[in-house]
This record gives sequence, structure tokens and C-alpha cells, in this order.
Amino acid sequence: MAGGTDTGYDLMRDSAAVHVRFGSKLALLAGFGGLLLLIALAGADSVRVLRTIEQNHRSITESYLAGRHAMDTLQQALWHSGSLVRDYVLQSDPVVAEEDLSALRRLRQEMEEALRKYAAEVPQAQESNFAELRADLDDYWQAMAPALRWTAQERKSLGYGFLTGEVFPRREAVLQTAGKIDALNELALQADDRRSAALFASFRRRAFAVLALSLSAGLALAGVAVSRILRLERDARWRYQEIVTAREELQRLSASLVQSQEEERRAISRELHDEVGQSLSALLVDLGNLAAAMPHRDHPELAQMLGTARNLAETSVQAVRNMSLLLRPSMLDDFGLVPALNWQAREVSRRSGMRVVVSADGIGEDLSDRLSTCIYRVAQAALVNCERHSEARTVWVTVRQTGSRLALTIADDGKGFDSRKIRGLGLLGMAERVSHQGGEFEVESEPGQGTVIKVDLPVEVKDGLARAEEV
Amino acid sequence: MNKIRILLADDHTVMRAGLRLLLERQEDMTVVAEAEDGRQATELADAHNPDVAVLDIAMPSLNGIECARQIVARHPKTPVVILSMHSDESYVLRALKAGARAYLLKDSAESDLIRAIRAVRDGKSFFSPAVSKLLLEDYVRQVQDKGEEDSYELLTGREREILQLLAEGRSNKDVANLLNLSLYTVETHRGHILQKLGLHTVPDLILYAVRKGIIR
Repeated sequence: MAGGTDTGYDLMRDSAAVHVRFGSKLALLAGFGGLLLLIALAGADSVRVLRTIEQNHRSITESYLAGRHAMDTLQQALWHSGSLVRDYVLQSDPVVAEEDLSALRRLRQEMEEALRKYAAEVPQAQESNFAELRADLDDYWQAMAPALRWTAQERKSLGYGFLTGEVFPRREAVLQTAGKIDALNELALQADDRRSAALFASFRRRAFAVLALSLSAGLALAGVAVSRILRLERDARWRYQEIVTAREELQRLSASLVQSQEEERRAISRELHDEVGQSLSALLVDLGNLAAAMPHRDHPELAQMLGTARNLAETSVQAVRNMSLLLRPSMLDDFGLVPALNWQAREVSRRSGMRVVVSADGIGEDLSDRLSTCIYRVAQAALVNCERHSEARTVWVTVRQTGSRLALTIADDGKGFDSRKIRGLGLLGMAERVSHQGGEFEVESEPGQGTVIKVDLPVEVKDGLARAEEV
Repeated sequence: MNKIRILLADDHTVMRAGLRLLLERQEDMTVVAEAEDGRQATELADAHNPDVAVLDIAMPSLNGIECARQIVARHPKTPVVILSMHSDESYVLRALKAGARAYLLKDSAESDLIRAIRAVRDGKSFFSPAVSKLLLEDYVRQVQDKGEEDSYELLTGREREILQLLAEGRSNKDVANLLNLSLYTVETHRGHILQKLGLHTVPDLILYAVRKGIIR
């Protein structure tokens, strides 16, 4: 059976769908999470690298500036001390000479102070140079020491030679060593620059790599997401199509059910009317003949039995006729829609006392069987509704044909109902029948306002093709 | 006395046999031909030119109404009695329009057929009481529903007289002879009657008369 297979298939699809839903959730979470993590890591790395570079640079620059400052102080003091020594040696006034001497001592203290300060910050690479500088400076001061105790006379005679022979060369040595330290400091600074540049370059490479990785991961993720979405969309479309097909099939099935029900009613109605009814009528005639042929006076009990049999047959004929008409009025097949509607209206009137006004001017017998049946059945159901629920006094059944459209209206002056809330009342069945014929069905009703049922149907031309379809 | 020569058409053999027995029992009737479908019935009518044709409606090849139309057209002197299972007015009206003079329900054939045949032989119409009762009831209800004045009241005494005779199936000429009127006067009266009653044809008029209980 097709239904069983379908159900199994759907179950399989459902479980697969659940699986896929979980799988894709995990994959999307991992994908997007990974991408975000990658970007965050790249950011942290760049911050760290930049901070390292900045710190390195600052410490190197500080040490360079300290060295530079110390050397400047030293050099200036050295130059100054040179000129003071010269003044002192060439001075004849002892008072002024004494002043020069004390200034010289102060200078020496200044220089010692600068060196001591710098000593704390001397980089390892400069330690030997620094020691040499210290030694040179000590040598300078020691070479100068005897001259400081000289008399004015001694200064005058030995002074110039002492300056050019002892003091100035030593001063030159100190200056050279200081220059060496300066140069080394300069080199260190340059090396630092290069190192920073290298660090930057490697950072840039890494940044590019991370960027490329993020981009490709993002692209892959987007690709996966897009294809997944497309597949879901395709699935949804497919399912929608499936539902549409199923609905169409259902509609076809319901149409063919209605059709075959109608066929059966027609057949049973015919059979009842033409066979059973005819036979019972024949039986009645025969019973009459039998009664005529029988000597009544001799057998009154037989005459009574015959009478009973005749009554029974008469009742049966009437029952059969009513059943047949209720199943499907023969007028519908013999004379078309309008006589059938008129009969139905009379029946309802007779049954319920409700006035039923049928107006169907210009509706001929050439309407297709399907259409006539549809209109007849809808009107019949509507009249039954009116009879049972509406408490109407009058119902107007109107059929109008304009061009290729046929309009059926059933309006009553009954108590009405809320057509937005209440369904049922056979309305669904009517709407279904109408939709089988490609028509439109509408119910307008409000409590206290009566009910109007409107049906609009396309008229099919009754030609060979239409007939062939009806078979 | 000449017997009434009857054509009997019904596709139901047992029914036909029963009816034949019923008719043959009458001293003044004889069944001259039996047909089992409409086409055969018209052929036999041509061959035998019967006094009365009794036709079923539901027959193969040609239904009783069409058959009646053909027989009436070819043999205006042969009145047609329709014997049917159908009681609805649409059948009665169509049978009358086709020219039938009597309409009987099969289940009342045993009691009504003989009377109907004699009535049509005498130029009158006949309807099963069950049929005329249904028609009358519907008419009364219609008049009540519409709440309009019964249009019968609009007819003059002479017109009512003529209506009854016409409804019984008499021709204009017969009516003129019976009432000592000119044919032209009868035709004028007939026009007035149809107009006043809102009818169009003589069958309409017969149906009206049956509904009103003027004839039965």
C-alpha cells in the first residue's frame, strides 16, 4: 500500500533531517568560533609584539641618552679643565692661581660624579671601554698632580712644556676613549633599530599569515553555510512541492469519490425505479387480474388477503419511488437541472412548509451532467441546511448564466449565523464539490441577517470531449 | 359495437402481460399490438392505426414522450395514454406537451387504465388521482405563497366553460359545435383565457385545469 511506504520514507527523512540539523549546528558553531578565536589571537599577538618593540626601544634609547649625557659632561669638563690648568700654569698672581686650583677640583668632582652616575647604567659591551676611560682619566689627573703643587717660579719655567708634553696628550687620550664609547653607543642604537625593524618584519609576516588564514577560513565557512542554506531551501521547495502534489491528489481522489458516489446513486436510483418499481407495479396489475378472476363471494378471506397484498405492494412502490428520488431525482438525468431543482423545492416546501422560490430563467437542458449535478447537490444541501437550522420562511434559489459563467445563489431570510466562526453544516462538502468544477464558493451570513450562499462556476461546453471525460 | 383497438408499449414483459390480461378482460377492448420499445411502438402504430396507444415513458431506443409526439403527429385521431412510474409534474407536463391525453401512474394502472382509455376515446383527458392530487397541492401552495389573487377569478363564466372543454382535450371546432359559437369566437376566447391565466399553450392549460381540480 502506497500510504505505508510513504510514512516509512518520511520517518527516514525526518531522522536524517534531525541528524543534519545537529551536525550543521555543531559545524557552524565550530567554524564561526574558530574564526573569532583566530582573529582574537592575532590581535593579542600584535599587541604583545608592539609592546615588546616599544619597551626594547625605550630601554636602548634611555641607555644611549645616559651614555651620551655622561660623555658630553665629561668632554666639556675635560675641555674646561684643560683651559683652567693652562690659566693656572701661566698665572703669576697666586690668589688667582689658587682660585683656578679650586675650580679645577670642582671640575674633577663633577667629572667623577658623572662617571659614577653612568657607571650604574653602563651596558655590558661598554664595560672595558668604561674601565679604560676611568684609567685614562686617573692617568690624566695623576699626571697633573705634581704641577699643582708648583711655585709660581716653577710654573713659569716648566709650565708650557708640561702642558704640551703631559697634560694635553693625556687629555686627548681621555677624549678618544670617550669618543669610542659614544660611537659604540651609536652602534648599539643602530643595532636596536635594525632589530626592531626585523621584529616588525616578522610580525608583519605573521600578521599576513593570520589574515590569509582568517580569510580562507571565513571563505570556507561562508561556502559551507551558503551551500547548506541552498540545500535547505531546495529541501523546503521540494517538500512544498510534495505537499502541493499530495493536496492535488487528495482533491482528485475526493472528486473521483464524489463522482463514483454519484454514479452509484444514479445506478441504484435507476435500478430501484425501473426494475423494482416496475416489478411491483406489474405485481399490482397481476394481483388485480387475480382478484378479478377469483370468485369473491365464495372466498371472502381470500379477497381480504389479496387486498392486503395489494396495499403492501402499493406502499412498496411508493417507498421505492421516494427512495429513488431521494438518491438522485430522475428528472436530473431526463430533463436537466431546472426540473430537478423545481422538484427539490416542492419537496422541501411540502416537508417543511418553508416557501422555496426557484428562478432559473434561460437555463437549458444542455448543461453538462457534472455541472448540473454539482449545482443540484449544492442547492439540495443548502436547502437541507435552511430546513434544519435557519428557521427561514422563504428561500430563494437562483441560477443565472452569463456568458461562460454560471451563478447559483441560495438566499434565506432565516436567523443566520456567524460565517467567520461556524463551518460545518455541510458547507465544506459544498465547497469541495464546487472546487472540483473549478468554481468559487462563498457563504455570507450574520446572526439575524439570513444566509446567502454564492456559487460561481465556469460553464463547460458540452461537446464530445466533455462527454468522453464524464465516462 | 366495435371494440377499442389498443397498442400497448412497455419494455417490461411481465407488466405488458398483466396489462394485456386486464384489457382483454374488458368486453369493449382488444390489444392489437404490443411493443417493447418506442421505435417499435411507432412502427406498430403505423401498421395498425390503433384507437388508443398506451405508452410507458422509460423505454429503450425511443422514450415514451418522444414516441407519443411521433404517434400524435402521424395519427391525430389516436389519443395517447402515458403509463409511467414518474409522478413529478415535469414528466406530466412534458407528456402533455408531447400530445398525451392521459397520464397514469403504473401503480394505479389496475384501477385507472380502463377509465382512462374510455375517457380518451371519448375525447377527454384523464389523470391518476395521485397525480392530480400532487399537482393540485402544489398549485394551492404556490397561490398561497405568492399571496396573489387566484387568476381563475378573472375568467368570465363563458371562458370557464370553454376552459373546461379545452382542458378535457376537445378541439376548437368541437367546442364551437358544442356551444353553438363560431370557430373564430372560440379562438378569441381561448386567447383571452391563456392571457388571463399567464399560460402559453393548451398543455399548460390542461395542467392548470388539473391543478385547479377543474378536470380529473
